[in-house]
Amino acid sequence: MTWQDAVIDGLHRGGIDLVAYLPDSVLGPLIEQIDESDITTVRVAREEAAVGLLAGAWLGGQRGALLCQSSGLANCFNALGSLSVPGGLPFIGLVSRRGDLGDHNRAQVPAGYAMPRLLNEVGVRNRLLDGAGDLSETIDLAAETAFSVNDPYVILLDRTLTGGKP
Amino acid sequence: MTADQYACTRAVLDAEPEAAVVANLGVASWVLAETDDRDRNYYMRGAMGCTTPVGLGLALSIDDPVTVLDGDGSLLMSLGCLSTVGSCAPSNLTIVVWVNRSFATTGGQPTAGVDFAAAAEACGVAGTAVERLDEFRASLDEAAARDGPSLIACSVETVDTEGPDTYDYAHEYREHRFRTALEP
Repeated sequence: MTWQDAVIDGLHRGGIDLVAYLPDSVLGPLIEQIDESDITTVRVAREEAAVGLLAGAWLGGQRGALLCQSSGLANCFNALGSLSVPGGLPFIGLVSRRGDLGDHNRAQVPAGYAMPRLLNEVGVRNRLLDGAGDLSETIDLAAETAFSVNDPYVILLDRTLTGGKP
Repeated sequence: MTADQYACTRAVLDAEPEAAVVANLGVASWVLAETDDRDRNYYMRGAMGCTTPVGLGLALSIDDPVTVLDGDGSLLMSLGCLSTVGSCAPSNLTIVVWVNRSFATTGGQPTAGVDFAAAAEACGVAGTAVERLDEFRASLDEAAARDGPSLIACSVETVDTEGPDTYDYAHEYREHRFRTALEP
């Protein structure tokens, strides 16, 4: 099973109805696969809008997931801190994480490398996956806890898992 | 000419009594809560710029009509979200923008004057600009009948209110009350 197949399996196991995304090269092929599944996809213009959109989906009884790059998740902090967390509006994040092993772009390093700490500081639980473990199972469990305790949960996918840009 | 935001807010509730209403933080929420603190109101308490996206996500998730009460300052922060509204094109979504040309919640500092109806049209969303209550009522009826999303930019006088205490309950209670009210 490819990592993309594992994500789709995990989204189904976690009962995800709707995916809001802004693509990067790592996530592009995965998003194409999700588009072909029965999960609704919405392409946003800015990642923070996806956080709002998924909050609205939860208010309407649906479970949502955010797919974006770590740079895009850095765009989301006001929405995380003043909507998702205090409002009890859960979603799961599947974020391609830049800024660590093999990254060539200095602009990706400060927020990408620090993303686990940044999320911890605003109270968003998260887990960095570097290739070890069962990705589908992890997504399922992230959904189970996020939608039970009404908090977002972010899974960061490192280049050692995704292989980086195809 | 400008319309009265209280009268227009009442008109929103009269036009579609079953609509789920998502109101921007500050004045839009305060006026809505003062007008009628109904279970189908969701008051934003933060996340400026996310009000219309929340309404879009909701409209994609339920069959009932959804009305967003956004502010011009908030929508300017995330004007690109109209492109997502246009591409998703939910027919149950109406976005009302209270255009008072100011950041009314923070003391009335001026915003940039933008033709929101034209911006909506450019994004594939039917846009209308109104400045009187009767025009506003007519545009609400047209929006409800339209097979696609609508944006109504309504010029209003800046409301002078400190905000009510009527919805001063816990953030998570808002979520619970609203979500429960929408359950089929």
